[in-house]
Amino acid sequence: MLCIKHYSKTYPGGKKAVDDLSLHVRSGEIYGFIGHNGAGKTTTLRAAAGVMDFTEGTITIDGHDIKKSPVQAKQVTAFLPDNPDIYEFMKGIDYLNFIADLYDISAGQRTADIGKYSDAFELTDDLGSPIGSYSHGMRQKLALVSAFIRRPKLLILDEPFVGLDPSAAYLMKGYLSELCQNGSAVFFSTHVLEVAEKLCDQIAIIKNGKLVQSGPTAELVGDSSLENVFLELEGER
Amino acid sequence: MKKFFVLLKVSIQSMLLSSTNSRGRSRKRAATGLSAVFAIGFLGLYLSGLYSYMFMKALAPVNMEVMVFIFMGMGALVGGLLFTTFAVKGVVFGGKDNDLLLSMPVPTTLLVASRVIAIYLENLLFSIFVLIPAGVICTFVTQNGVGHSLLFWLRLGIAALALPLLDTALSVLSGALVAFLSARVSRGALGQNIVTGIFMAVVFYFSFNLSSMIKNLTDNATRVKNSLTWAAPVLWMGEGIMGDWGLLLAFVLCCIVPFALVVVGLGRVYRQAVTAFFAQSTQNHYKLAPQTASGQKKALLKKEMQRFFGTPMYFWNAGIGLVMLLAAGAASLVMKEKLLAYAQMSEIHLPLLPMAAAVIGFCLCICPIAAPSVSLEGKYLWILRESPIEESSLLWIKVGFQLLLTLPCTVIAGMCISIAFGFALWQTVALLSATLLFAVGHAAFGMLMGLCFPKLDAVNETVIIKQSMAAVLAMFAPMALLGIAAGLYYWGSKMAQWIALALPLMLFAVFAAVCSLILARQGTSMLRKL
Repeated sequence: MLCIKHYSKTYPGGKKAVDDLSLHVRSGEIYGFIGHNGAGKTTTLRAAAGVMDFTEGTITIDGHDIKKSPVQAKQVTAFLPDNPDIYEFMKGIDYLNFIADLYDISAGQRTADIGKYSDAFELTDDLGSPIGSYSHGMRQKLALVSAFIRRPKLLILDEPFVGLDPSAAYLMKGYLSELCQNGSAVFFSTHVLEVAEKLCDQIAIIKNGKLVQSGPTAELVGDSSLENVFLELEGER
Repeated sequence: MKKFFVLLKVSIQSMLLSSTNSRGRSRKRAATGLSAVFAIGFLGLYLSGLYSYMFMKALAPVNMEVMVFIFMGMGALVGGLLFTTFAVKGVVFGGKDNDLLLSMPVPTTLLVASRVIAIYLENLLFSIFVLIPAGVICTFVTQNGVGHSLLFWLRLGIAALALPLLDTALSVLSGALVAFLSARVSRGALGQNIVTGIFMAVVFYFSFNLSSMIKNLTDNATRVKNSLTWAAPVLWMGEGIMGDWGLLLAFVLCCIVPFALVVVGLGRVYRQAVTAFFAQSTQNHYKLAPQTASGQKKALLKKEMQRFFGTPMYFWNAGIGLVMLLAAGAASLVMKEKLLAYAQMSEIHLPLLPMAAAVIGFCLCICPIAAPSVSLEGKYLWILRESPIEESSLLWIKVGFQLLLTLPCTVIAGMCISIAFGFALWQTVALLSATLLFAVGHAAFGMLMGLCFPKLDAVNETVIIKQSMAAVLAMFAPMALLGIAAGLYYWGSKMAQWIALALPLMLFAVFAAVCSLILARQGTSMLRKL
């Protein structure tokens, strides 16, 4: 579903944030992406989502090159940044309809899906209020609902558990699994290693912009724990 | 005190950066920024000089020069109040760095003072642009020679420095009220638009009736002055500038005391005020009904519309030209005789057709709707970037939104003026062609300025809409183009009427074509680089 080949990103000034990274997220997989702060996770996710430009390597989503066919690639993708800023001048329901219009979602489907996900995240009552009045957690939930109603083939999430209450985090994990059971793929970064270990089918570890380890979670962790593997790879244990 | 200067430095840096977009990296951009600031300054000085001259010419012969300073002072006070009241909401109460600064070991009074002084500086510019030209006019036109003394200029300088203190105190109080109401009323934006609309209607009324007001003022200057006891501080300012040191001191105290009280008072309740103003009203009983679907372009246009009409600061700063276009059209129909008399006040008699085009062009210039729109995306840009939309569509939707508003208003104004002044069909066609071409060029040019001078990390919307380089250039560069078009018309009229019309038309056509072409070819890559 997501294929990253020899992707590198150098910022103005010469700092290489990501260096020759290649990985493959298959349909039906939940793929975890872990690493230190500044390791290059967000840079990779933003490039994969078509939010950030890059010069080296190729990224394809469902066979569409994100640079050559960005519209087709984005049509099947949903991306959630770590701190989703959403138009404060809109009401929650306006934002969901705005996103639904951009993704050509039919009236019937959007009504059903908005109801399903906003009810689950206990957000329906607040959809008539301006987003400016939402708390951080409510904005996070609204962004999640806006991602799920797209029924994306690829869901890219940057630190999705930050700011969510435990019940919302539990719900989200359920919906991520549901998406994958329906043939979609999820690619997300996290610092919560326990969640990554339990939830992910595959895990990649990035250090200083380079991929240092990747593979099925069970193989990667073995008899140890993801925390131990991560700290050993990072040279901190 | 050191902390205060550190905070003040941050406030001023923020203001300057938002104006020049330089960040100390590009001298070219900084120079463009300063040029634009000078352009604004020049225009401000010209307009206030013109009004001062009109008043002074009428009042100096009856030795009532003081009335010029009283009226110009009132103008500066009211104008500054209008322009900074809504800015207060963003600059004083709505800074993104509020949480950061409030968590620091800094007395809130110092924090308030540093932010209020940013407003003071804005009002100071207003005061200088209004009072100094009046002083210059007084020096040349006065009969009693009061403007020739150095002490006169010292008194004028003191008044120009003190007046914005009073203005700032009033702006902060009214801005606090606006912020409070915005948080409490569900349709706060509509309320702000109505209040500003009423104010603008009053300004238009006074502008259209200026000549008769000046005549009445000349005939009854003493009586008018005696009736102004309700505006005692401004009266004292006028008398002070003209030579009464005691009244000047009273005026200065009248400015310093409220300013100090506002800063100290607000400093004591700032934390509570910020908390109260931004605890927005919510409706916790939304019932989901069947939704309707529309297309991508309609959704993007609707978003632009929601932002434009839902942000009074944006609407009244970038949309005032639309109101003026409609007002000009209506005024030409109902006040034809007065307008003709007003136009003939000028000693150079200009033909009506280019004058009508210039009026419409000026109104369009002050509609830089597309220019700040990219910067207004700011932190929200990720939403559009991750959406399955062609990047070029994003730009053309923004240009299209400006045109959606300006083109109908231009046609209405053009048709009304043509009917009112009895233009022939070819004249109407020429007027509409020129102004519509200019409107298209202006929209594309504004978009280009928005891409060349982005301000995605602005601390609030105010600095993008009111102070950003993109908005300033989108207003003043096309005004310069109007000047060139006027020159071409004048030059062409010496040869033949058709040449006089063809030259500006060609200029506007080239302007529209070049800006649209650059936007089509470079716009997408410029957007991608942001």
